[in-house]
Amino acid sequence: MKRIPLDKAAPGQILAEKLTRHDGVLLANQGSEVTEGLLRMLARQNIESIAIEEADGRTPEEVLTDYLRFLAELEERFVRVKESQVLLALKKTIIFLAAKERDETLALLAPPLETSPTATEAKP
Amino acid sequence: MAKSVIQDRAQAKKEVRRIKNLPTVPGIVAKISRMVENPETSAAEVGRLISQDQVLSAKVLRMANSAFFGMSRKISSISQALVILGFDVVKGLVLTSSVFDMIQKSMAGLWEHSIGCAAASGAVATVLGRDDAEEILVAGLLHDLGKVVLALNLPEEMAVVLKKVAEGPILFYEAENELLDFDHCDLGEWLAEHWNLPESLAEPMRLHHRPEKAVLNPERVAIVHIADIIIRSKGFGHAGDLLVPPISMPAWELLKLRKTDFLPILEILEPKLASLRDLTSIQ
Repeated sequence: MKRIPLDKAAPGQILAEKLTRHDGVLLANQGSEVTEGLLRMLARQNIESIAIEEADGRTPEEVLTDYLRFLAELEERFVRVKESQVLLALKKTIIFLAAKERDETLALLAPPLETSPTATEAKP
Repeated sequence: MAKSVIQDRAQAKKEVRRIKNLPTVPGIVAKISRMVENPETSAAEVGRLISQDQVLSAKVLRMANSAFFGMSRKISSISQALVILGFDVVKGLVLTSSVFDMIQKSMAGLWEHSIGCAAASGAVATVLGRDDAEEILVAGLLHDLGKVVLALNLPEEMAVVLKKVAEGPILFYEAENELLDFDHCDLGEWLAEHWNLPESLAEPMRLHHRPEKAVLNPERVAIVHIADIIIRSKGFGHAGDLLVPPISMPAWELLKLRKTDFLPILEILEPKLASLRDLTSIQ
């Protein structure tokens, strides 16, 4: 996630958090795409900055390597509490969310749909 | 081990009292405490007192508007913060702002651990549906102040503890107890006495590793205990060692948490942690 001033925002970016007006009224949901219309509305509402999802410059291989390193470090941190069922549940939840983030990052890095083979073409 | 290292508990307590540069309670926090004890004091009066110190006010407002509290409207004045967040929370933020430099200086990563534990405390309290999430958050923010005393006032003792921690999978407080016969929880307790901090902050400082001993507010202490575990498990910040400490099952059972609660807790916590990186410098 990256916070950018409104004048650096551009159509096509993905909102990393929901946007609300100063009085709390929802303007746009987390995960929705920035459009020209949304940018005009945000300017009218005096919203100064937005948080967007960023493709962070890593290659897919680096994303996977980072994920594996995260898992290895996680195991080391839990080395003293292996017997606890409660903490095992905590560890599993952290892995679940890290895997989800990995997949979302990979999806952001994926080439546009028209240039990638469709699921049917990719099948042998 | 160096001869000068203090191992004896009573001697350590004496030493903590005797230390000339033991951080004194910020004058403004003492003043606020006195004002708040007087039922006739209004929020506006306390607001005026804090606002006199512009640097402090700016830091407090920056924290009040951070992802900690997720306010949909901007808090633009101290008196507004007092009305929305309450006396105790603003007092905690004033205290935190005053000791920020000390925490930063004491140990790399401890400030990040502190704000992470605060955010995790708030997330656990929110999932439990408690209405005192802000107060618990402040207790999480200050739970490790004893480590600041160890680092700044007892540097030789700190060095032997860190050496022990580096040698093997041992928790910071286990190493303290093995080598020194006192730990950062004791130091936190003595500091809280010296500073006359409210028991709502002192009890989690003293008992976050032994939450089952809490008497005044066992649930709040249990929340800080579990928040400490959660933030360490995420690897956010550095609390002296890199291990997830054992969980106190009485604390877990007291809160009636379920294993499935970790998902909503972490889903609240993660976006906050991303935003809180901004707070790593509140200068």
